[in-house]
Amino acid sequence: MTYPDKGYGPSGPAPWQQTSWDWRAAGNFIGGGVGSGLVVFAAVSGAHGAALAVPMLLGLALVGLGLFCVSLELGRPLRALRVLRNPRTSWMAREAWTSALLFPVGLAAAAGVPACAEIAGALALVFVYCQARLLQAAKGIPAWREPLLVPLAVVTGLAEGAGLFIVVALLYGGATPLLLIAFGALLIARVLLWLAYRRRLAGKTAAGASAALDRAGVVLQVAGTAVPLVLAAIAGFVAGGAVLPLVVAAGLLAAFAGAYVKFTLITRAGFNQGFALAHAPVRGRALQTKGT
Amino acid sequence: MPDGDTKRVPTYCYQCVAGPDLLTVKVVDGVATEVEPNFCAAEIHPGGGKVCVKAYGLVQKTYNPNRVLTPMKRTNPKKGRDEDPGFVPISWDEALGLVAERLTAVRAAGVTDESGYPRVAASFGGAGTPQSYMGTFPAFLAAWGPIDMGFGSGQGVKCYHSEHLYGEFWHRAFTVSPDTPLCDYLISCGANVEASGGVVGVWRHANARIRGMKRVQVEPHLSVTGACSAEWVPIKPKTDAAFLYALVHVLLHEVPRARLDVAFLSRHTASPYLVGPNGYYLRDRTTKKPLVWDTRRGAAVAHDTPDIDEALEGRFDADAIEIGADEEVLAEGTLAGETAFSKLVAHMTPYPPEWAQRVCDVKAETMRRIANEFIDHAKVGETIEIDGVTLPYRPVAVSLGKTVNNGWGGFECVWARTMLAALVGGLEVPGGTLGTTVRLNRPVSARIDSVSAGPDGFMAYPLNPTDKAHWSPNPNIRNAYRTMIPLAANGPWSQALGPTHFSWMFLEETPKGLPRVTLPDVWFVYRTNPAISFWDTARLATTMARFPFTVAFAYTHDETNHFADLLLPEATDLESLQLIRIGGSKFVEQFWDVHGFALRQPVVATQGEARDFTTIATELAARTGLLEKYNASINKGAAGLPLKGAHGDFSLTTTERHAPEVIWDAVCRAASVDVSDGKEEHGLDWWKEHGLATKPFSRVGWYLFPELVKQGLRFELPYQERLWRVGVELGRRLHEHDMHWWDTQLHEYQSLPVWKDFGAPWTAAVVKAGGEPADYPFWLLTARSMQYAWGANVGMQLIKEVADNIAGHRGVIMNPQAAAKLGIADGAHVEIATPQRSVYGRAVLRQGIRPDTLLLLGQFDHWATPFTKDFGMPSMNSLATMSLDLTDATGSGADVVRVKIAPATAAKPGAAK
Amino acid sequence: MTRWAMVADLRRCVGCQTCTAACRHANATPPGVQWRRVLDIEDGEYPDVTRAFVPVGCQHCEDPPCMDVCPTTATKKRADGIVTIEYDLCIGCAYCAVACPYQARYKTTRPAFAYDTAMANETKRRDDSRRAVATKCTFCVDRIDAGLAKGLKPGIDHEATPACVNACITQTLQFGDLDDPQSNVSQLIAQNEHFRMHEELGTGPGFYYLWDRKESTAP
Repeated sequence: MTYPDKGYGPSGPAPWQQTSWDWRAAGNFIGGGVGSGLVVFAAVSGAHGAALAVPMLLGLALVGLGLFCVSLELGRPLRALRVLRNPRTSWMAREAWTSALLFPVGLAAAAGVPACAEIAGALALVFVYCQARLLQAAKGIPAWREPLLVPLAVVTGLAEGAGLFIVVALLYGGATPLLLIAFGALLIARVLLWLAYRRRLAGKTAAGASAALDRAGVVLQVAGTAVPLVLAAIAGFVAGGAVLPLVVAAGLLAAFAGAYVKFTLITRAGFNQGFALAHAPVRGRALQTKGT
Repeated sequence: MPDGDTKRVPTYCYQCVAGPDLLTVKVVDGVATEVEPNFCAAEIHPGGGKVCVKAYGLVQKTYNPNRVLTPMKRTNPKKGRDEDPGFVPISWDEALGLVAERLTAVRAAGVTDESGYPRVAASFGGAGTPQSYMGTFPAFLAAWGPIDMGFGSGQGVKCYHSEHLYGEFWHRAFTVSPDTPLCDYLISCGANVEASGGVVGVWRHANARIRGMKRVQVEPHLSVTGACSAEWVPIKPKTDAAFLYALVHVLLHEVPRARLDVAFLSRHTASPYLVGPNGYYLRDRTTKKPLVWDTRRGAAVAHDTPDIDEALEGRFDADAIEIGADEEVLAEGTLAGETAFSKLVAHMTPYPPEWAQRVCDVKAETMRRIANEFIDHAKVGETIEIDGVTLPYRPVAVSLGKTVNNGWGGFECVWARTMLAALVGGLEVPGGTLGTTVRLNRPVSARIDSVSAGPDGFMAYPLNPTDKAHWSPNPNIRNAYRTMIPLAANGPWSQALGPTHFSWMFLEETPKGLPRVTLPDVWFVYRTNPAISFWDTARLATTMARFPFTVAFAYTHDETNHFADLLLPEATDLESLQLIRIGGSKFVEQFWDVHGFALRQPVVATQGEARDFTTIATELAARTGLLEKYNASINKGAAGLPLKGAHGDFSLTTTERHAPEVIWDAVCRAASVDVSDGKEEHGLDWWKEHGLATKPFSRVGWYLFPELVKQGLRFELPYQERLWRVGVELGRRLHEHDMHWWDTQLHEYQSLPVWKDFGAPWTAAVVKAGGEPADYPFWLLTARSMQYAWGANVGMQLIKEVADNIAGHRGVIMNPQAAAKLGIADGAHVEIATPQRSVYGRAVLRQGIRPDTLLLLGQFDHWATPFTKDFGMPSMNSLATMSLDLTDATGSGADVVRVKIAPATAAKPGAAK
Repeated sequence: MTRWAMVADLRRCVGCQTCTAACRHANATPPGVQWRRVLDIEDGEYPDVTRAFVPVGCQHCEDPPCMDVCPTTATKKRADGIVTIEYDLCIGCAYCAVACPYQARYKTTRPAFAYDTAMANETKRRDDSRRAVATKCTFCVDRIDAGLAKGLKPGIDHEATPACVNACITQTLQFGDLDDPQSNVSQLIAQNEHFRMHEELGTGPGFYYLWDRKESTAP
């Protein structure tokens, strides 16, 4: 072994970007969020047949892709099933259990089994909630452990899912105004939660994490919110041939921006706690002196 | 994990001068796996029996795949950094045959050459630590005869040099330490004890901190020692003398005289000695003894007259004689005398804190407060009982570190430090400033026993002669210590305490008056890497390449043995056999309550074909026809103690080759009867099981003061009449031989040292090199790393790994504000340059350093040592120059370079240009 | 009851890393895996700067976030407060590593050696059960248990004491039972000002940092 360029072992004492989870873990939050959002929208859209099956299957595929990504991160993938052992306290185990239910129910829904779509939607909601809680339970990472991350992660999952859903919906008659309104509302809710989350984090994260979040925030606010909103508004109010690309663009931008935020959160803003001393040690003092 | 056949083997670690540490190695199925403290030693070891981090590298040291494990011969006759040596494995028989052949040729030609220098040279590293690993090799060296051990790798010039020489002169203090267990207030000028004090130093200081000892660290950067101190005073580099002078000034001119230890000064120092009009002591006309003014009789009397009350201050006329250099009578009759103390008071008048503030960039009020805190803590007048003996108790001390106590200004710093101790009676008494060991006086194993009466009521000191009859312009070795450095004495350690850079410099150009400096025919190198650890390393490597036959006892390939003709793999720390003395009082903070012996033994089987050093030494002796002398030398004590003593005769037959086990068995038996006063005789097997044996050592032996009192001797302070005389004589001798290149150094011989701008020579060096001083605004300093200091362990992955947890092991430490002005970010690649050379590395921005200072820890910049050559860590040694201008009168320089720093534009990090 | 805890007296620590090295030896961790290590922390701005050396590692929390998040129950807390990892259960998801606010957990996916090839000591002590799973300081639990079985007292008898404590050359690290008011650690905590790292996170670390004597105990 040649001497590693950056020295051995961990860094510190200042916070540093965690190295335990990389793009593979981020992939799970991205796939899981957008996938379960898609399943939720498929469920609540009241669609049937292919209009239900396609987004449902796509949603499940994305969830599955996310889980596949994270399985690549496992040190002992052959033991993967042990992930189910501790639903009592671990949100990762709960996420795994939920996914274990989500897939058969979702597939049943896609196959047209009655009532399964609603159950799948509910499970997807639980799944994205599990993911949000999973991340928030990572107490070592200030940007993750902030409680507002939970609604933010859920809402962004739904917003991303909505974004994809309106694109998929184009194949089956297009997005209804109600859907576009829901989509818009989710984007607004997401950006408001984001701003609140950022405000709550102020001063609590390392400079590197803050800078990364700020960059992601710009993407989220402009490409993920303002532009899709305008596009959706135009699409909603203006008829004509331009609608289709506008909706596609709005939906994909919303989804990609959410994915980018999550990728940033894991791989760029995942600075750990670092170390800090509540008191500096007092090392010897002058004894009682007679003089000055 | 299966534990298999597990045992714990006791041994010692003496990789650094602050050892030894007593440890056990856990061995599982014959494989060394763990180092642990020898818990059995906790009771007798002053550091709780703990083991330094360096010792934990020994397992890797044993199994390191980069080791040289067979003798190797150079096949490429061309030597150079860029030449592949082409080492090929050979048998031990061939290797030893090659060495013996050379040595036999040398003996045939005469052991000294046409210049009078020994034809065989040997260099060992790290302040005598290799001796704890080289078995009976010293017996071979002794049997051989004259050997030049003055080709340094840093010792002599990068050590605590002024402290070694003047410290030993004034208070048998080759190394100086606070009496840490009792000290309450310590001023530490750059002494990096937390990095260099070893387990015992660190242990004692941690306890002292908890007890409440206040340590004030005066240093340009916030070292680990500064970090662990109560206060950090960021002083400008090389201005410590001004700081210390200001403290002396405050004690003499601002503190009421009665708060000083007047009795100590009057009775136990030369303060009351009368100094005549020519600056030499007034002496009794008959006995030639220095005179003091006895206030009882109202007359001048010899200093050792019983029942006198010496006047500390004042001017007195006396019927006297004043004798200068070369016994020259300067005045005789009724002469005006002034006490040495009054001279001192007047001498220190120009150095108030306000003056020092301008020099050293420390606020006057800070210095005044520190001086007052020092006297407030001194407890003048109090006593303490130590092992039933009542002694003065002065819990204040001053310690000095490297670059403070060596090079220009080192003399002044050591003098001022010793004076601070003397003014409060805190020299060599409980709580105060103590010497730890002697290396120039004998016996080296018993400091107190080295005290004997010398001239004028002072301790004897083996100064090299400066009188006309005995001084010689023909030195015994190439660095000319006997000719140039009276204080270096002429003991076994003196060669390495001379100006060891001269050996290298004079090979290029020998200065006028000295015999031309020659290459040694054979050069032995062991546990040292001067091509990395000395200054001007590129030039040194070029010089080394000219050596005709270099034999390196090699651990791995390195930058020095790259130029060797023969590599001999020795069994390393955990593979070989040796018994050493432990305890008593030794280097740094090694003050023990016991003394005795400890064994180093093969913990595991030797790797490859490496051989125990004792085997190699015996073979060399036999093959060069020196076996009888060699064995006789062992019998005389070359292996640690004489084999024949009051309690038995374990002498070896001198005509046979003895196996290491036989030799060390005899040494073990001699040691066990010595330590048990004849009651127990144990052979090697007992020592292998027990590891060590000791007997009590009274703490009274930590202090020199009671012995001086017993012998009626005084500390040779404050006035330096003897040194001044020596300086004048040395100057005359040199000038008589038309040698004028040492004139600047001769100015250091002063009766009372005058402050000078001690940083100026380094600025002048920039000009001499063709640079503009303003373009080189930074002081580049170095500091010890606890994980590496002395250890010869740079190739240990574990050591690198753990050292990296401490700032500065990955680059140059720099102040962030200073860096911002130059556009240097944390971690940026930078170029550090002198007018001649550059090194490259990363910037490590830390607030704990002056904006005008840069710091490079340790000594790196390796280019051959496996593993280490990839560190990318630059070294000051690649930038520092060797020159007469930067050499002080003791023959020492200092680790300081004026440099500039800028973002690196090209070149590989870490590589010297 | 027993609650094993570590005390680090920051006034004593000099950052020598002897504990780090001793831990690497005692636990045969691969290069870069330092269950115990000492940080070098600087605070302030020149010239008003402080620098402290801070031993860190698993804090053996009262309420360990690593345990709650563990999906497999590989991480457990014993009745005596020691947080353990059952390597055979661990799937190496590293969730615990990001949940730990003390950066105490490691996961090494490939066998690593000090040099290019494994040395004899590395071969001898190779333990593949610890590869690709979470590892961390165990408070040398095997020594404690073996010592207790022999009737020894952890923190006092070296055979029953964590290797880092045995090795510490400044007596910075002390180990003992918090539930015993007479224990060394209880006494030190009672007599000195102390804090625990990131106390605000509510993890209840079993690792106490001393930083000054209490005024009432001043001489």
